[in-house]
Amino acid sequence: MSQKYNFSLTTFSPSGKLVQIEYALQAVSGGATSIGIKTTEGAVIASEKKMGSILVDEQSITKVDKLTERIGMVYSGMGPDKRVLLAKGRKLAQQYFMTYREQIPTRMLVRELANVMQEYTQRGGVRPFGVSLLVVGFDQHTEKPALYQVDPSGSFFAWKATALGRNMINAKAFLEKRYNDELELEDAVHTAILTLKEGFEGQMTENNIEIGIADSAGFRRLEPTEIKDYLAAIAA
Amino acid sequence: MSIMEYNGSAVVAMTGKECVAIAADRRLGAQAQTVSTDFQKVFQMGPKLFVGLPGLGTDAITVSQRLKFRLNMYTLREERDIEPKTMINLVSSFLYERRFGPYFVEPVVAGLDSKNQPYVASTDLIGCPMETSDFVVGGTSSEQLYGMCESLYKPDMAPDDLFETISQALMNAVDRDCLAGWGAIVHIIEKDKITTRELKARMD
Amino acid sequence: MAFEFGGMPQFEAATCAHRSTSKALVKHNAGADVDEDEQQFTGPVPMFSLPRTDNPSEFLHQYSDANPDSKVKIQFAHGTTTLGFKFQHGVIIAVDSRASAGSYIASQTVKKVIEINPYLLGTMAGGAADCSYWERVLAKECRLFELRNGERISVAAASKILANIVYHYRGMGLSMGTMICGWDKKGPGLFYVDSDGTRLTNNLFSVGSGSTYAYGVLDAGYRWDLSVEEAHELARRAIYHATFRDAYSGGHINLYHMKETGWERILNMQDVGPLHYEYEAMKEQSMATTAD
Repeated sequence: MSQKYNFSLTTFSPSGKLVQIEYALQAVSGGATSIGIKTTEGAVIASEKKMGSILVDEQSITKVDKLTERIGMVYSGMGPDKRVLLAKGRKLAQQYFMTYREQIPTRMLVRELANVMQEYTQRGGVRPFGVSLLVVGFDQHTEKPALYQVDPSGSFFAWKATALGRNMINAKAFLEKRYNDELELEDAVHTAILTLKEGFEGQMTENNIEIGIADSAGFRRLEPTEIKDYLAAIAA
Repeated sequence: MSIMEYNGSAVVAMTGKECVAIAADRRLGAQAQTVSTDFQKVFQMGPKLFVGLPGLGTDAITVSQRLKFRLNMYTLREERDIEPKTMINLVSSFLYERRFGPYFVEPVVAGLDSKNQPYVASTDLIGCPMETSDFVVGGTSSEQLYGMCESLYKPDMAPDDLFETISQALMNAVDRDCLAGWGAIVHIIEKDKITTRELKARMD
Repeated sequence: MAFEFGGMPQFEAATCAHRSTSKALVKHNAGADVDEDEQQFTGPVPMFSLPRTDNPSEFLHQYSDANPDSKVKIQFAHGTTTLGFKFQHGVIIAVDSRASAGSYIASQTVKKVIEINPYLLGTMAGGAADCSYWERVLAKECRLFELRNGERISVAAASKILANIVYHYRGMGLSMGTMICGWDKKGPGLFYVDSDGTRLTNNLFSVGSGSTYAYGVLDAGYRWDLSVEEAHELARRAIYHATFRDAYSGGHINLYHMKETGWERILNMQDVGPLHYEYEAMKEQSMATTAD
């Protein structure tokens, strides 16, 4: 009888897989490419921001978002799903601040987000999130930057550098060649842009990519004018 | 009769140079009747962190246990020791959860932070935090303790000097309070060691 | 807040509430203001200005802590330990020396035994001012008795003067629990008198917030045929144990011995601070010997 009333969409297949999660990962790998790079002084995230039509106002849509003053994130996959996670992440961070009067460490917020995503693989009446996240932050207690990836399954990993989305495999191969431990933050921004450029369809402009930086000053999304300068420097 | 004065208590914490001290009396009474003279009011919450809980004895026990629970969860989740500054905020939000049915304690926090800088702070029974650079007090002898601390305290005392000062402050304060005293305990926290001493006091 | 020395146990029935036969003993100008310059020092008791109302005690009750509805309260905190007992060699009187105002310790060096004359002692518990004032009045009365009659007043008569005075002021907030002890023609005398008007005589009394603890020690160790040394030690121990358990008793011990020749002061302000550790050491020693 109880089988009749199973509301969970994520049910194990006979082979022991949760196919819904695999479909969610499909949604991620079909999404826009995102890059994350960590250096000693800070961490960078970047993503494509291609619009379905030239008529869309690019400023109304964001790929790189602030979770707290010190932590930001970018995603690959379904935009509306990200919005839900962003709202939950911000609320969780503020709840932590309410309790401890201290900024939530990046790792703690990543865990909270991963917990949310895991819950959506087990609860009844829901589907997993169709996004993977790259979360960067610069923590007060360690005075070091952090870079994490969170997946729809609820697993999360710390990276020195990584990529998500459509061009993930090529981008990771590119990063493996370019990455080294002495990388400076400025170099990391350049590397992020160059990695995105690999397999970028059409002309890259300050309006169709987004970049975020987390360093000792906190987290911020670069203005299009700043991105324009970086693009000019790379072209030169 | 205030419930805060039912059992009687005196707790004081002081900063020194690269050290802090916390001290408390040992009495547990039922109003005028002295029931115990080895009651614990100061609890170690970390390698260099102590919390004193003057106020109602039964709540001191419960609060110490529930704070330890939250603290253990914090250290497991964060994989690091809590900062004293964060501890007082944890205590504060914990107490405010019971705003309309409070625990009758006035916590006193003393510890060294991760940079070994001394830190003392206290809250009222519903969690209003008060951070100072010199000393904090709590319990039925708090007026007497303020008087003693104001006159004996000097900044940047060495550990042995700090021990003498906090001991004199506490002993002389409780000697003017009917409800506190009957022995005292002092913890001196330094970056590489903690010294705990029991003081021989008047037992009346 | 007034300084206080402690509470008296409340006796259920007013066992003996005798009115004074001498109407002149207590006078007061009821309802009218007394001009301070007109105070009469001829009578046994000076006149007190009372509230201008038909019933002063009812008026005072409004402001007393006995009335739960009152917001303004003349508070009477209690705290003290006093004891007295008769035995074959006379009477022992012992007291602590703490004065408290609320939970604040106002003094640790108060004299709670009033030396009325060489053959009479009074102990103080309750309101400090009430006890010392009325026992001073009693001292005067006793001296006048001697002058008029050419012989010392009996302990029974002395205690009754005090009982009659406080009975006259019953319900007006006097707070005292006292023991009057002395030696007269009949031998050793010991009376308990309190502000409710109670007057009792017996071989053993203890008064104040610490009295229950003192009774515990006294009942365990009291005998009529106690030696002088044993009696002194029993009284000292009883006060010590009361100061240990009772928050409102402490400071020092004063101990008097009343003999046929008058009183002698045996302990003069012995600090109970070190005394605790002396008893602790004795306890350890006796445990070590019993273990052997």
